[in-house]
Amino acid sequence: METPKIGVYVCHCGSNIAGTVDVQQVVEFAKKLDSVVVAREYKFMCSDPGQNMIKEDIKNLKLNRVVVASCSPLLHEPTFRHAVQEAGLNPYLFEMANIREQCSWTTEDHEKATEKAKALVSAAVKRVRYHQPLETKDVPVNPATLIVGGGIAGIQAALEIADAGHKVYLVEKDPSIGGHMIQFDKTFPTLDCSACILTPKMTSAGSHPNIELMTYSEVEDVSGFIGNFKVRVRKKARFVDEEKCNGCGVCMEKCPWKAPSEFDLGLGERKAIYTPFPQAVPNIPVIDKEHCVYFLRGRCRACEKFCERGAIDFEQQDKIVELEVGNIIIATGYDPFDPTPIVKYGYNRYPNVYTALEFERLCNAAGPTGGKIVLRDGSEPKSVAIIHCVGSRDENYHRYCSRVCCMYALKYSHLIKEKTEADVYQMYIDMRCFGKGYEEFYERLSKEGVKFIRGKVAEVTDRALTDEEKGKLIVCGEDTLLGTVIRVPVDMVILCIALEPRSDAKQVAQLFRISQGADGFFIERHPKLDPVATMTDGIFIAGCCQGPKDIPDTVAQASAAATRVLSLISKGKVELEATVAVIDEEKCSGCRVCNILCPYNAITFIEDKEVSRVNEALCKGCGTCVAACPSAAITHKHFTTEEIMAEIEGVLV
Amino acid sequence: MASAGSHKNIELLTYSEVMEVSGYVGNFKVKIKKKPRYVDESKCTGCGTCQEKCPIKVDNEFDLGLGKRKAIYTPFPQAVPNVPVIDRDHCTYFLRGKCRACERFCETKAIDFEQKEQTLEVEVGCIILTTGFDSFDPTPMTQFGYGRYDNVITSLQFERMTNASGPTGGKIVLKDGTEPRSIAILHCIGSRDVNYHEYCSRVCCMHSLKFAHIIREKIPDAVIYDLYIDLRCFGKGYEEFYNRLQEEGVNFIRGRAGEVTDVAETPEERGKLIVVCEDTLISRQRRLPVDMVILSVALEPRADVAETAKLFSISRSRDGFFLEKHPKLDPVATTTEGVLIAGCCQGPKDIPDTVAQASAAAARAMAIITKGSVEIEPTTAFIDEKLCSGCRTCISLCPYNAISFNEDKKVSVINEAMCKGCGTCAAACPSGAITARHFTTEQIMSELEGVLI
Repeated sequence: METPKIGVYVCHCGSNIAGTVDVQQVVEFAKKLDSVVVAREYKFMCSDPGQNMIKEDIKNLKLNRVVVASCSPLLHEPTFRHAVQEAGLNPYLFEMANIREQCSWTTEDHEKATEKAKALVSAAVKRVRYHQPLETKDVPVNPATLIVGGGIAGIQAALEIADAGHKVYLVEKDPSIGGHMIQFDKTFPTLDCSACILTPKMTSAGSHPNIELMTYSEVEDVSGFIGNFKVRVRKKARFVDEEKCNGCGVCMEKCPWKAPSEFDLGLGERKAIYTPFPQAVPNIPVIDKEHCVYFLRGRCRACEKFCERGAIDFEQQDKIVELEVGNIIIATGYDPFDPTPIVKYGYNRYPNVYTALEFERLCNAAGPTGGKIVLRDGSEPKSVAIIHCVGSRDENYHRYCSRVCCMYALKYSHLIKEKTEADVYQMYIDMRCFGKGYEEFYERLSKEGVKFIRGKVAEVTDRALTDEEKGKLIVCGEDTLLGTVIRVPVDMVILCIALEPRSDAKQVAQLFRISQGADGFFIERHPKLDPVATMTDGIFIAGCCQGPKDIPDTVAQASAAATRVLSLISKGKVELEATVAVIDEEKCSGCRVCNILCPYNAITFIEDKEVSRVNEALCKGCGTCVAACPSAAITHKHFTTEEIMAEIEGVLV
Repeated sequence: MASAGSHKNIELLTYSEVMEVSGYVGNFKVKIKKKPRYVDESKCTGCGTCQEKCPIKVDNEFDLGLGKRKAIYTPFPQAVPNVPVIDRDHCTYFLRGKCRACERFCETKAIDFEQKEQTLEVEVGCIILTTGFDSFDPTPMTQFGYGRYDNVITSLQFERMTNASGPTGGKIVLKDGTEPRSIAILHCIGSRDVNYHEYCSRVCCMHSLKFAHIIREKIPDAVIYDLYIDLRCFGKGYEEFYNRLQEEGVNFIRGRAGEVTDVAETPEERGKLIVVCEDTLISRQRRLPVDMVILSVALEPRADVAETAKLFSISRSRDGFFLEKHPKLDPVATTTEGVLIAGCCQGPKDIPDTVAQASAAAARAMAIITKGSVEIEPTTAFIDEKLCSGCRTCISLCPYNAISFNEDKKVSVINEAMCKGCGTCAAACPSGAITARHFTTEQIMSELEGVLI
């Protein structure tokens, strides 16, 4: 090993460090450490003059190791590695001592903080001697992209990438793309028709030469790494030949069997062969095996008889398709909260208690009532109560705010006022009208005569206490502005239910090796500055799978995810982390412990040689395998035993 | 910031302003004014000696007047680029012809008092506007005493005060240097108010909660009041943060403050600022004596938003912010192709939403770049030069600045790349010289004839 010549640089970070740590003392201490050639201080080491100071010293004093004592490596390790590299040193011959987050910000006593800073600097100096030059590697990026989820987020991201000229596979588990947005009636606050603004995008996605739609399909397996993912997709059998079907609809007309329509949330019916809604993309029906008489009892085949194109194929099997893509965007959306467990609101007990999504279908002109707002008995409600925060802002269900309910509740009020003579009550906690034009919409609704009652509803009951309550649903709660308990008799109750993570979010997270937050939604890399990336490189998230959000925010986020993918595609390659684990094949006993433990599936077993091998492109350098290997056959580059022992020795000085 | 400053594909033009924009998507020509810094960017190393030696101190805009800077200055230590500017209005040399201290001490001879304003012309295919917001000035709301009482400050001033590199080194202090014992945070100042801005500024509830937390952390026994209308904690982790603050012992009062006064009615109110408000949850008037009042001020459109909109031929919505092409499905595009918007210039938003929108705008620009060409609508207008009388009526009417006048031939000419086919000129031309393709007189007359059958 060459004789180490170490430079130590201690940062004031304004008063962030210097306010607590005696920087001068730390510098004097560092000067006396073994192999330290120079030690200096500066107000902001990360600034240009700070970096230049390091570069000059590397050149003039022939430094071959550099230690910077400043903030967290997360913040400025890349900055200093880059500076060291610019001065001609290998960037890995650098070590950072965190004397801000782990010292000055957390230690109040000035003397103790200074001692701690010295210990951290000493550790870094001891450790840096053992650093080896490492090289980063490039891997090419496959320009094709997989998007999982065909709602507005997935469609938007797909169109952005496809419009830029790159191939997109858009996988959707339902028979049609469109997601939740296509179920909505109007959109707030502009009140344009949801389907009218979405269907053009759906048809664009359906006919785009760069987009391959894979509806009624699910991702089963994902392997590989950024730039080079391999994905297995199951195309469920539609029992209709997509090549032959022209979407004429005769089969649906002729099918004698009816089932409740999932799209209308059971408020309407569909046939056993069906497209979920008339504007479905692709316009190709599927046969529902559970309700088709032929599948149940072996007779009927009416659809087959009437199909002029011979497109019906009862023998169709699920197909497995293997895709190779460079990046993946997950846009799997949300599930609406099921309010049945909140028994006090009477959902499923009282027929005229509806969920928000049911109401969307009820007032939709293409919905089961043709857009008429009616009670179960077909009559028009004379009064409607809209209850906010059902399942949201509630520590028994979801603590978070679902972000969209206040606004859609206002929209419902407007639609009810427009279509009926009914009195409308809104029971809210806070009116959260934060978007562009939202507060103005709230103002408008206040003028339209909606009665806003601030208070969480305690109960919906049909037990009348007075004559006028008879035959009504009575909404009981506290009006916190009047400070009184109230009973509001109404004909219809709408529950503004929370948006919650998909019931299979956990499996999806495991499949794509991404994480979930405490609320169950997928977690982004940085809540502020990296809201669409995940901790797995090459996998991005967009839309409500990351957390509840409205349509404009979803669209913006989807486009943001597309940008990230596009910039990786146009770069054409990605740089891989150099601090990975390596297995010494001579020492490996082939026990495979590491294979099971690796959280990134980066280790495979080579059957011929009976040893394990690390895929450097997948390895994130977490060190799990290194610690677990019973034969000590695995070394972690940049975190070798020598390096770690030296660091410990240094900190104990 | 550092990445943007050192990225080989980014050319930073700071202390510069766009003066003129012409052209159309894919082919814009932009004139940029580079204001003189009086410091040579190629020579300056950012060592900071000039700022140390400059004898003139003035209020620092960056600290909103709470701190001082020199007449030669960078607004804050981590400035990118780290090259100072000389403030002509305060530099003694510019005012009285003497001093030049900065020049004397500059080792790299970077000071250049003769520097002149430069005009650059750049050619670009797309433009993204990210001009941000202005903080609402609460002075006109005299009931809150901003500008009258020393210890009534705005949210942005409080941000600087609690900042470790701010004028007080991160200490929360009153004007007299002592620590406040009680603080009231007033929400919705200038927002949700028909007299100022009807809209909600989207970030104030959360930054007010953040302030409450910082105060609790730095002055553990302080009494903190949050006066709100609705607490709008809608983002990821926001409601959870609100719950945490409730546990930290912040007094949340639902009600808008009526006024802030120093007229004491009881001995304990003496020497205090009294926030007078209605607590709507107990339906009672309350007087809260506090040492400091923080006004959570609205985010409003930039003062020069009208000129900027005109410069880039884009529109504004009723609230004054730039108008997006479609509020839901096209939140970053404008009605002018190739001009995109992102961040608070489109409307108030928090950092995650701003970052997402900025990336979205970048996606749009990249799509245009990778395609390499833009398709132009063939249904544009054209001028029959033989019929054109050269009256120029069409030129003043065209909303897209697509018509120019050919001085040689004395006729108007339409730039087809800029024409959107709106038909205004065709209808207005007194000589009947303009035809809108696909909407010719014959086509329209036949359609009318058909419908009347």
